Amino acid sequence: MFTTGSKYFLGIGLLTGIAIAVSLFFVNPSALAVTALIGLFGAVGLLAGVMLFVRDGDVTSGDSSASSHPAPTTSMWPLLTAGGSALVLIGTITQPIIFLLGIVVLIAAFVEWTVLAWSESASSDDEFNAAARKRLLNPIEFPVLGAVGLGLLIFSFSRVMLAVDSRMGVALFIVIGALVLVGGVLFAARTTLKQSVVSAICVLAAIALVAAGFSAARSGMRTELEVAKYESDHEVPRDCGAKASAHGDSGVMKTISAVSGANATVEFVGGKLVAYVQGIQGEQRSITISRSAPTSFIFRNFDSGRFRLVAHLGTRKVTEGVVEEVVVCTQLIKRGAEQLLTLTVPKSSVANGPYSLSVAGVDGQVIELMVP
Amino acid sequence: MLAPVLRRLRRWILASGTLIALTGCAKNAPQDTWKPKGPNATKIDNLQKPVFAAAGIVGIIVFAVVLYCVIKFRDRGQPIPRQSHGNPALEITLTIIPAIILTVVGVFTVRTVFDLAKTSDTEMVINVTGQQWWWEYDYPVQEQYGITLPIVTSGQLVIPVGTKILLRETSRDVIHSYWIPALNGKRDAVPGRIGTNRIEADNPGIYAGQCTEFCGLSHANMRMEAIALSKEDFAKWVANQQTDYVAPADGTLAKEGETVFLNQCVRCHQVNGLTRADGTPAIAAADENVWAGAAPNLTHLMSRNTFAGAMFDLAKPECRKNVWESDSATFGSKYLAGVTEDCLNQSALRAWLRNAPAVKPMYSNPALLAATDGKYRGMPYLGLSESDIEKLIAYLLTRQ
Repeated sequence: MFTTGSKYFLGIGLLTGIAIAVSLFFVNPSALAVTALIGLFGAVGLLAGVMLFVRDGDVTSGDSSASSHPAPTTSMWPLLTAGGSALVLIGTITQPIIFLLGIVVLIAAFVEWTVLAWSESASSDDEFNAAARKRLLNPIEFPVLGAVGLGLLIFSFSRVMLAVDSRMGVALFIVIGALVLVGGVLFAARTTLKQSVVSAICVLAAIALVAAGFSAARSGMRTELEVAKYESDHEVPRDCGAKASAHGDSGVMKTISAVSGANATVEFVGGKLVAYVQGIQGEQRSITISRSAPTSFIFRNFDSGRFRLVAHLGTRKVTEGVVEEVVVCTQLIKRGAEQLLTLTVPKSSVANGPYSLSVAGVDGQVIELMVP
Repeated sequence: MLAPVLRRLRRWILASGTLIALTGCAKNAPQDTWKPKGPNATKIDNLQKPVFAAAGIVGIIVFAVVLYCVIKFRDRGQPIPRQSHGNPALEITLTIIPAIILTVVGVFTVRTVFDLAKTSDTEMVINVTGQQWWWEYDYPVQEQYGITLPIVTSGQLVIPVGTKILLRETSRDVIHSYWIPALNGKRDAVPGRIGTNRIEADNPGIYAGQCTEFCGLSHANMRMEAIALSKEDFAKWVANQQTDYVAPADGTLAKEGETVFLNQCVRCHQVNGLTRADGTPAIAAADENVWAGAAPNLTHLMSRNTFAGAMFDLAKPECRKNVWESDSATFGSKYLAGVTEDCLNQSALRAWLRNAPAVKPMYSNPALLAATDGKYRGMPYLGLSESDIEKLIAYLLTRQ
């Protein structure tokens, strides 16, 4: 009943099973050892089954009519299936992403191997069989491989851009873009260029990009991004004083895209704070806004020095008997820069007012916010 | 062949045509887009009528040609006719004619769009804020119109005639859209943004509108009315809106109603000048109870003809009709008279106070407010007793 080969693998499987039991209950039930042993158990079990099925490869004991079928072609899918199984196994004790990658490889190998096996027995004509496989799988393979390839290139490029200095990133973007453009123009103009040469150039460029991405990923992101990754005080309210705060005033935005839709434009010019409201003529010293409605103001600094717009929105109770001033503000911006300040005032001016806008460090320049 | 078919269908064609024609004859159609009552709406009308006519003519021609071809060349077992491919002269003609039509329409459309967007000659500004499911209007200080303190009202937008008014529209919750067809086109009210919309009414009167961006359960009940008053009448309205609060006399039912209001309604509704027993101002805390963060200001509730997002008439039908159908000369004085006790639509107001969600669909079931942190969208059921309702009505009648 049992062939010699199957006995060998069954024996190893039995020993592995005992080892698993001993590891689990008597020695050290660490996930790593037990998982490795379970993997080994599965592998030798599979091999024992194969040995039994093919009778140790003894063709004389099988059906001689099988020889009339064409022999299977060489295939990479068994290898990839084994690789996928290994990834799944490793993934269970290391990273979930490796486990998922293993599952993806297993699914791909399963589909490919199944269709390949089916197509090889479709007829006795190898060419017809190959064509049948292509007809079925190429519409899936090409888009998937294309997407994976493109994703790899984009991912590599993104690693490079995250690693280099922000100014260098701009330059790099321009250079790579220009190279792609020049390459495209040359390929289009030189129609006599051999396809193999074009392919070789493209493949080399892709390899170079992936290698650069791999190298960049190993070296990590640029310093400020690494620092930002471990900062924990981004949500701390910004210091709205006249001096620059550590984080709140770094990386100052100098311009805004939401130039329409703001309630009013507030400008600081020559030491004077003025507001302009669409539809109302002239400079305004008070602005009426709806309560509980998110409201935006464009702040433009036309004065020398760095200034910020501060909205004073009354007080709020922190604990019993303790109140604090509610203040929101822009970053400190230099001359010619602009920022958007968005705020919501939940209660009428009568309740918690008066509300106002001012410039930090500048006395006597106040715009009243009226909330009916 | 065709004649018998037409004879058979004649009755149906005639009935359908008559029905379609009759739908255009509605008399009580206050939101009719073909009856402009102000310069901006007239500009739109001047554009849309010729465009509609051109589109109609083209549509009829295309329909007639298609119908002719369908009938003339229908399959009767005849051999397939000679097939031709390409007719440059015909194709160029059929490209150039639509291009010319679209160019002409485009030129006039762009000109109208820029005309409608003009705000530089604005004479008055009103902030319009939408929320589920009513509109609030606040008037910034504009001393040339006697507005020395911001005025806030809801449901009815009051404007002076012959005045270029810029509506600055926004929203407190979701996207709404403000549209009074007789005065201008529609404009979305988007949270966090100010959209501008210019209106101007030629004559005193009431102009109806409707929220035109689906905004939730009671979108269909989110209405608005623009009340155009003569400049003199508008000045009177402004003066009334800025009068100081006068508390009801002690010992009256209205005074008891004021207490009920302080205990129940002031959680969301503001009445300017109302104070608590200790003399501190009674400030509405709608931001703590309502998802949109606001509820209508009721300081001068009885100066308007509607309530609950202009869904219900505050005045009895005969009183409201008296205002709606009055001529330009008497409209202002009738509107400014407000809603008196004789004219109050008590049944509607009582039903609202008794159980608001039962008469206007709103998200107010406490068990279903997890998505809004327990805050209501609309007015909840307050469990008021009939006695409290009686007192509240007496109090609200003093809010002229």
